[in-house]
Amino acid sequence: MSDNVEKYIKRKVYEKENSRIAQKFVDAGLEKIRSCINCGTCTGSCPSGRRTAYRTRSAIRKALTGDESVLQDIDIWLCTTCYYCYERCPRNIPVTDMIIKLRNIAVEEGYILDNHFNLADKIFYATGHGVPATGEDNKKWRDLRESYGLPPLPPTVHTHPEALKECQELMKSSGFRELMDNVAEKKKKAQEEAERQKEEVKDK
Amino acid sequence: MTEIQEEIKVTAKDVPRIGVYVCHCGINIAGVVDVVKLKEYASTLPDVVLAREYKFMCSDNGQKMIKEDIEAGLINRVVVAACSPRMHEPTFRLTCKEAGLNQFLFEQANIREHATWVNMQDPEGAYDIAKDHIRMAVAKARKLVPLQVQKVKVEPSCLIIGAGIAGMNSALDLADEGYKVYLVERSPTIGGHMAQLDKTFPTMDCSACILTPRMVDVARKKNIEIMTYSEVVDVSGYVGNFEVTIMKKPHYVDQEKCTACGACVEYCPVVCGNEFDLGMGTRKAIYIPFPQAVPGEYTIDMDKCIKCGICARTDVCEPEAIKYDDKPEYVKVKVGTIIVATGWDLYDPTELEQYGYGRYLNVITGLQMERLLSSFGPVLGKPVRPSDGKPPHTIAFLQCVGSRNFREGGNTYCSRVCCMYATKQARQYKEKHPEAEVYIFYMDIRAFGKGYEEFYESAAENYGIKYVRGRIAEVYGGENDSIIIRAEDTLLQTPIELEVDMFVLSCGLEARADSDKVSSLLSIQRSADGFFMEAHPKLRPVDTLTDGIFVAGVAQGPKDIPDTVAQAKGAASSAAALMAQGEVEIEPYFSVVIEHLCSGCRSCQSLCPFGAIDFDEFKKIAVVNPALCKGCGTCVSACPSGAMVQNHFANFQLNSIIEVALKQPTIENGGK
Amino acid sequence: MSDEKKWRYAFFLGCVAPNRYPMIESSIRAVFDHLGAEILEMEGASCCPAPGVFRAFHIPTWLVIAARNLTIAEELGVDVITGCNGCYGTLRDAWYELIHEPELKKMVNEHLAKVGRQFKGSIEPKHIVQAMYQDMGLDYLKGFVKHKFKDLKVAVHYGCHILKPSDKRPWGGAYENPTFLDEIVEITGAKSIDYKEKFMCCGAGGAVRTAVKEVAADFSREKLVNMREAGADIVIDCCPFCHLELDLGQFEANNYFKDIIGEPLNIPVIYLTQLLGLSFGIDPNELGLIKNHDLKGVSPFIPIDPFIEKVKEELL
Repeated sequence: MSDNVEKYIKRKVYEKENSRIAQKFVDAGLEKIRSCINCGTCTGSCPSGRRTAYRTRSAIRKALTGDESVLQDIDIWLCTTCYYCYERCPRNIPVTDMIIKLRNIAVEEGYILDNHFNLADKIFYATGHGVPATGEDNKKWRDLRESYGLPPLPPTVHTHPEALKECQELMKSSGFRELMDNVAEKKKKAQEEAERQKEEVKDK
Repeated sequence: MTEIQEEIKVTAKDVPRIGVYVCHCGINIAGVVDVVKLKEYASTLPDVVLAREYKFMCSDNGQKMIKEDIEAGLINRVVVAACSPRMHEPTFRLTCKEAGLNQFLFEQANIREHATWVNMQDPEGAYDIAKDHIRMAVAKARKLVPLQVQKVKVEPSCLIIGAGIAGMNSALDLADEGYKVYLVERSPTIGGHMAQLDKTFPTMDCSACILTPRMVDVARKKNIEIMTYSEVVDVSGYVGNFEVTIMKKPHYVDQEKCTACGACVEYCPVVCGNEFDLGMGTRKAIYIPFPQAVPGEYTIDMDKCIKCGICARTDVCEPEAIKYDDKPEYVKVKVGTIIVATGWDLYDPTELEQYGYGRYLNVITGLQMERLLSSFGPVLGKPVRPSDGKPPHTIAFLQCVGSRNFREGGNTYCSRVCCMYATKQARQYKEKHPEAEVYIFYMDIRAFGKGYEEFYESAAENYGIKYVRGRIAEVYGGENDSIIIRAEDTLLQTPIELEVDMFVLSCGLEARADSDKVSSLLSIQRSADGFFMEAHPKLRPVDTLTDGIFVAGVAQGPKDIPDTVAQAKGAASSAAALMAQGEVEIEPYFSVVIEHLCSGCRSCQSLCPFGAIDFDEFKKIAVVNPALCKGCGTCVSACPSGAMVQNHFANFQLNSIIEVALKQPTIENGGK
Repeated sequence: MSDEKKWRYAFFLGCVAPNRYPMIESSIRAVFDHLGAEILEMEGASCCPAPGVFRAFHIPTWLVIAARNLTIAEELGVDVITGCNGCYGTLRDAWYELIHEPELKKMVNEHLAKVGRQFKGSIEPKHIVQAMYQDMGLDYLKGFVKHKFKDLKVAVHYGCHILKPSDKRPWGGAYENPTFLDEIVEITGAKSIDYKEKFMCCGAGGAVRTAVKEVAADFSREKLVNMREAGADIVIDCCPFCHLELDLGQFEANNYFKDIIGEPLNIPVIYLTQLLGLSFGIDPNELGLIKNHDLKGVSPFIPIDPFIEKVKEELL
């Protein structure tokens, strides 16, 4: 096709087959998503949608119609899980749980923000806390605790190394460790692919 | 006209000669089990002299098969293995009767609903169950004895509960056909909710203009006895012979003496909220609900009356009609049929806190908007905002409020009329204020009836009403009591915020709050949605499952006025058909007392839920009234002497079914 | 009899409270002790795990770690209390799902068995607000009020996960316009004022703060501007993460959105038990209200001195 035609003709085939993503929902027992009638109550209730490009209803619709771009979109990560959509849906769909499931699928396929990946892998797995107080960088927080008469570290995994080991064992057992490793792999591949494409363009 | 043969004499002493007919029912049965094998199985059973199979036993040819066998003297009992007896038991009974065999020597084995339809993935299991059913039916057939149907007279009068547009139309038709009608209405006037409407869609007829002439008609007809401000408190009896007790609530105003001059209203010092105007208008303690009320006589609301005595003064009420010591009056009537036309309640949106009903002044329901638009309403047809009395410039309607809601405790059904009434109200407002901006927020627009789609199209094209596809998520209050709406315009995929002067909730229709009381009073059922249940959703829309009781109008389910009137006329026709025959057949499933076994303990009498058992003081035994007995079997199980026998379901008949059912296991491993 | 504690709870700390806002932890300890409740430590507890992030990454892991935390309390034989909406959300939702779905419980216990634990569902996870409002009751709490604030206007922020999903919460399905937190605040004499979008989310949760700070900061900007317009003296919240978002987030909003907010926001953000403690006459040091260090770059990020100054006179 000549350049001109490519610019204007964008053939988009509407995937009428059972959406791969929708099937995952059904398999997970979340088939309720299919009764969505697109009334828009969810988007209308969404405090994030009012200030970002996130559209609750559209995310659900894309999942149902097989628009895979929804998994790579940052928009589904801008939901604060305030649960208003869940409470008000007239079809009684647990909307927030659907968005969480979409995020699960995205992570499985390697689509996760770097911030989140570091939080999961380097902080949560490593320390057992999402917001830790151990390490050099966090000395001021330990000092702050002491200034209020509390022990520098709380009686959590921070002061019970065997408990941290337990958590890590559980995370290996539940598949979390494997998931993180897979994601790291996929991210590395994606980065290499991006670099390769940059080179290709440069060569041109 | 099929010739009915004279009945062949068959007694219990005769050797049973059973004919078994296995139906294919198209693929419903034959698609799951091998009907030929079933037929062969049937022919191996004791006392079965012949077994046949056919595609559709209920067809003429199928019935002919049975008739020929009876007339040829081959069989004296018939078993048809097919669908549920609820479908075709009457059909096959008539077949037997026409061929000269007593119709109660017939038994139907349900191998469709109970075997093939529920085991479509398991043909072997279905086959085993079908065999069981045939074997059990044959066992019962062996023990069947001839019975005669009872005939009872049908009173040529009808009780209609509810005098809205449905009740009134049924009343008019029945009265014209010559039947006596008792029209009982709870409020002080007939007319129902339709009297609250201003214009009706799609013709924009003024509701009062088409309703009030009918109201006057109803009042004029000699055959209709109107009992307003009355309630049905007791119903007993059976089809054709209902005994009804009606409580006429005290008006505290002598209805004969009152001339409806209205002088009392001017003097009454009590001002209270007006139910007719849904709290937006006022009335006095002595009142009529609206100007064109029928009957036009006044009523005192004793909860609000302060008994000041002013209205009773002779210079105020010249006919001296005030009666502070009025008491309720109880009336007993006997009717042959009953029509339930009790109408609906509007859904109360207070629980949907996100819409602010009850918190923000300018959020109102669709019915309240209707009263604002009404020319004899609280603002004489010029709608204004409740907060400041000024006409709103921007109005938003929200559809499906309280309907199509699958949340816990929500009404899942569509209320059918709201899309049209909102369009109508929007159009009415635009007619009065062409410069106004009117929005209708919807999930779907349902404009299904005659002229409805055109009405909807015109609303957008000619009146500029803006339809936004997006259900409103929440509202909050703005300055000057405005309402700020949040929704998503789903077609543009954008969240929107809109400030409006007035927010109208198009609330749906619900079954009346006391439907459960009416249900138990009349022994009729309600569907899952709360409305009264029709006998069959497709083929018997105005009958209930209780013989002689019919239902019409929104009492059966949400519908618009044309459908309500059609259904009311249908109910009247069904009631008339029953009354025209003058008598009705009752199935002979009643209990019979074996006199020499009865010890006179009267346990049965105290337990009978239908009051069908009397005590013969002379013989000192129980006596069953066959017409009242519904064959529930309570007395049979209660009788300590075993003196009660239930026709067609006697212990010896049931025991034989149980025996054959238990003898042969059908589940290979673990079956008993 | 005087030593016998009326209520015994296992205190689940979470992450943000102990590790970033320790004054919240100390004020909860002080107030509950004062109210006659015994606090048991949950030794070896971990992150709940945070619902917005970890449930979004992998649900089975979230369930297993949450169940592990609950087993620590089960071993102590007492209900859990937490002062964090996020931890409450996780512990409560996980507990609810596990006790209602035998398949899930079985799966979780298969993992827990590997570390010698078993989830039974024998104790209930509660929010401290739930414990105070339902277990103890308002009348009981009122009995401890020594001082009623004279002219304190409070913008109460409920947050989200204490209320929703409403079917798994103990408030009878109410979530649009509850009043229980306002009622608790008002026993101190403070006035809970109405402000626009009172029940809106703070913006931190659902992994949004960790994803894009600016988006979360915009939520807090909107809420705080509304509170300012309504004349609030302070914000009261019952969740350390909301507390962080309204405090540190306020600081960030002043930076990101300086063009649209006009004057920089400076509303002190106070945790519920800090206010209650003051009203009950507890030493403000125990409530973490007095700054007694020279550390830089620690909480609170919006100075609470204006609040202390305002009420000092009354209290002394």
